[in-house]
Amino acid sequence: MIDLSPQFNPAQQLVMDHALLDSGFSCVLQMPTGSGKTWMAREAIRRSVQCGFRAVYLSPLRALADELSSRWADEFRGTPVGVFTGDYGGTRKSHPVSYQDAQVLIMTPERLDACTRCWRGHWSWIPEVDWLVVDEIHLLGNRGRGARLEGAISRFRRLNPFCRVLALSATLGNREELADWLEGIEFQSDWRPVSLKWRIVHFRKAAEKPGLLAQELARTRDAGGQSLVFVQSRRRSEQLAAFLREQGLDALHHHAGLDHSRRRVVENAFRESSTRILVATGTLEMGLNLPVRQVVLYDTQGFDGTDFVPLAVNTVWQRAGRAGRPGLDPVGEALLIAPSWNSSAEHYPRGRFERIRSGLRDPQSLAEQILAEVHSGMARSSTQLHRVFDGSLAKLQGDRLPIDECIGEMLRAGMLAEDEQEQVNEGEERLRATPLGRIAIRHLLRPATILDLRRFLCSVTYFTHFDLLVAAACADDCEPVLSVDFEELDSLVERLKTIDSFLFEGPRETWHRRLPRHGKRLLSALKTAVVLLDWSRTGDLESVANEHCCYPFEILRLIESMDRLLMAAATIHKLSHRTDTAAPDCSVEPDYQDPGIGVLRQMIINGVNEPAAKLTLIDGIGAKWARKLVAAGITDLSSLAVSHPSWISTLGGVSEKRATTWVESAKSLATLNVRPYEHLLPSPIPVVPADFESGTDPYRLRRALELNVQAVESGVWAVSGGLEPHRVQGMRPDFTCDCQDHAKGNVCKHVLAVRLQCGDDSLQLPVQRLEKGASDEHLDLFYLWFERN
Amino acid sequence: MPEKPRQLETAHGIIRFPAYIPVTTFGSKYPLDALIQPYLPRLSQAVMVSHHYAKLMKQRPRLPLLIDSGGFATLFDGSEVFEHRGLGHLRVCLGNEVEVLTPLDVLEFQEEHADVAFTLDFPIPPKLPIAEAKRRQALTIANAVWAIQNRRRRDLRLFACIQAWSVESASLCAAELARHPFDGFAIGGLVPRARDVDLVLAIVAAVREKIDDRPLHVFGLGKPETTARLFNAGVDSVDSSSYVKLAADGCLWENTNFRLQDPSPADRLRLAIQNLATATRTALPLATQAF
Repeated sequence: MIDLSPQFNPAQQLVMDHALLDSGFSCVLQMPTGSGKTWMAREAIRRSVQCGFRAVYLSPLRALADELSSRWADEFRGTPVGVFTGDYGGTRKSHPVSYQDAQVLIMTPERLDACTRCWRGHWSWIPEVDWLVVDEIHLLGNRGRGARLEGAISRFRRLNPFCRVLALSATLGNREELADWLEGIEFQSDWRPVSLKWRIVHFRKAAEKPGLLAQELARTRDAGGQSLVFVQSRRRSEQLAAFLREQGLDALHHHAGLDHSRRRVVENAFRESSTRILVATGTLEMGLNLPVRQVVLYDTQGFDGTDFVPLAVNTVWQRAGRAGRPGLDPVGEALLIAPSWNSSAEHYPRGRFERIRSGLRDPQSLAEQILAEVHSGMARSSTQLHRVFDGSLAKLQGDRLPIDECIGEMLRAGMLAEDEQEQVNEGEERLRATPLGRIAIRHLLRPATILDLRRFLCSVTYFTHFDLLVAAACADDCEPVLSVDFEELDSLVERLKTIDSFLFEGPRETWHRRLPRHGKRLLSALKTAVVLLDWSRTGDLESVANEHCCYPFEILRLIESMDRLLMAAATIHKLSHRTDTAAPDCSVEPDYQDPGIGVLRQMIINGVNEPAAKLTLIDGIGAKWARKLVAAGITDLSSLAVSHPSWISTLGGVSEKRATTWVESAKSLATLNVRPYEHLLPSPIPVVPADFESGTDPYRLRRALELNVQAVESGVWAVSGGLEPHRVQGMRPDFTCDCQDHAKGNVCKHVLAVRLQCGDDSLQLPVQRLEKGASDEHLDLFYLWFERN
Repeated sequence: MPEKPRQLETAHGIIRFPAYIPVTTFGSKYPLDALIQPYLPRLSQAVMVSHHYAKLMKQRPRLPLLIDSGGFATLFDGSEVFEHRGLGHLRVCLGNEVEVLTPLDVLEFQEEHADVAFTLDFPIPPKLPIAEAKRRQALTIANAVWAIQNRRRRDLRLFACIQAWSVESASLCAAELARHPFDGFAIGGLVPRARDVDLVLAIVAAVREKIDDRPLHVFGLGKPETTARLFNAGVDSVDSSSYVKLAADGCLWENTNFRLQDPSPADRLRLAIQNLATATRTALPLATQAF
């Protein structure tokens, strides 16, 4: 057991002086990065353990959970410390310490959510928890994860009314409100072990940015410091790191596309000062402690899924807060690189944090939580659900939650059903999750995902593997969303032409109805399906990632997502083809596998082709053995059925008796038609070539078509119709504009509008392509690129 | 010199008096009991289980465990008290099954699991014919004497049960049992007489007079205002399941005007915790009090 350090820092001293951890209340602690939040968490946990209770620590990141579990296993010697994240359990690594045995449980919010959804299976430990530590509580405002975290905390507190929540964050705009929600107290400290100095460096043209950055980084390096540079995209992190190396600076990049081991290598290199500069995306925003003197915010905008928008103050401070090494740096520096024409970056140093808003405002998230409440048995009527959500953060924040509307929709959609045997009040019956609803719960998927998959599976008579992968990749639960660059459209078109599909055989209107996505999101789903098919074809992550401009680690995460989605699809498929689904007690085992979809799932999770995946239908043959058999020339069930067991046993690792069982199974399965429509021949996808060869940016050109141009005098035009009027001057081909986009070195929409006005022939063909509507008979990627999501 | 605090030492901890002992059950009949059981150590010094439900126990609570004899089943339809070799046995009809409860069965089970055991007794409801009342009392006394003579575990605290129909009969029963080295005494059969508080208090006083300083328990009377009067009258401990019964109906002890419509399992859990905290005078963290 660790000892309390008698040396508290001023922030910790205040927390101790106020006896916040002994107050009996939940606490919201807002303290700058590096001021000892993790120490607070450890202290609360230490007290729980000392009193014979358990403690839960929620880590926003799996990597951080792993790091803490190793560290705390040492520090809490003799106390079982368990780590529970998506990397453990099920078919993955087994938990190092079981739930039952762990006295300190480190988990991700998603894992706690799963535990509270089936709380009866976790009743041996939930009531014994004294502190639930939620690190980075501002995650509540995260679009995807916030509602699940809120639901998990809410259920946990109802299941264990004695448990106190210790909520930690450096950036909260509504600390008091969160404390009210948790019925607790709040504390804030601005004390930092190293003071933070803010500086803004302005650039006049985008082209100046890399040079300015290199100067600043060199200055810090020469003064013996290390720098962490945050940028808005993975590609930029790689390009910028390469540029800096060319300038003689020792820089590495770090982003979510790198696998865990590569990230560890980069982090360790930085920790050991063998590299002095890291160029990173938001991956290093939370969690890890790194020896940084200077944090540079190279981009003050970020992509919000639709557009580039200014970074939130919370985000900027999360990043800036990492600057300054206690005992080593006299001061930490937060450097913003901002455009000279825009003063919006000036407000960041003031640190007026944004309010954290409840994720339950999103009706889809609310529906998911309603389903979770009903299935867990914690609220099974409208009255009970209203009472649950009356205690939500959303309600406290004045949001009207459409609970009854959600219940009604889910009843109509067959996700929920009313138990006519059990009436609550007059006109109000007990709710229960249907088999369809249970699929969502079992696989931690949104109700909308299940309904979209059902709509797809019920609306198509036949589907190829590609078709199902596209439908699954359209789901919000499919992560990550692979972006498609305009330059990739041509290669994607060529690849799609070689893929068979039933889905895209029909007119556009038909497949448009079957898929819930449009525009770039559908493009992304198409690319995802291609990537996964290529992965199953080659089993080579690196080459597939290179070919499709993504990262191996992204493909690994996609495989994880697709595993759940395909398991869900198989069960939905089974349900959809039952005649008795209306029966109230109809139930399908959640792990049921449709053979066809099951084979596709094996292909995806193991990176093997269809014949090899079919081999895994035999008990005892997993992906490893399937690959081994294929390598030995047994490429499918038919060839296994005629193989001699004694010969198979010479491959090693299998007895002749077991091989005989395999051969017998193969004989019975060889005739199994896992796709009953295999005799039908799907057609290659009819795709329209992207066909946009102009060097002009199509986005700006399309916007240019909407602008008004008026000649003011010779060689000068007034362009209006955008956010504000601009003035373009010059002669073909050299035009200049007074807008910011032009200042960044781009050919802006105003210049394009003037060129169109002047009858620039080189723009005629691109304009024609832009103005052509989508083909009714073909898949038109160019059109999708511009279509709204 | 200050008076030594009254307490009972058991194999699994000390019970300090006065004590409110919550009743719980095992099995699936009362799901709220399973929900609240893990929280009992935070709210109570001990827990009471009847012999009938204790047999369904899979994991022992981390508290001193009091096991009642289950003699209350005498009041079930079709049950029969009969004499066998001078001791009282109970035949209980549970649906299609018939179970016979003997002093030996009860004591053997208690020896294995209990910290505090109560002898097999037979309740005497108010309008029971006097002859039957006398028979039941005699068998209750015989069972208790047999149990104290046959106790094997030295650290098993054995309480003799007293059943009576009047103050005088309670006094006689207590006097008879007080001659034996019981660790304590428990008065049963008071629940149907609870409205006549004066009678209850008079019975308590009569028993207390006969059993000298030894601990006195009263079965089934758990309303907070009643328990306060009982403790003042010399009762050391009471037990009751009212805290969960009220919670299951959405009610709170401390606020009789409160009734929660359609309580969920988690609502019931919170209500039960609040009710038990009221009964045991335990201070709850404020955040725990939701209603």
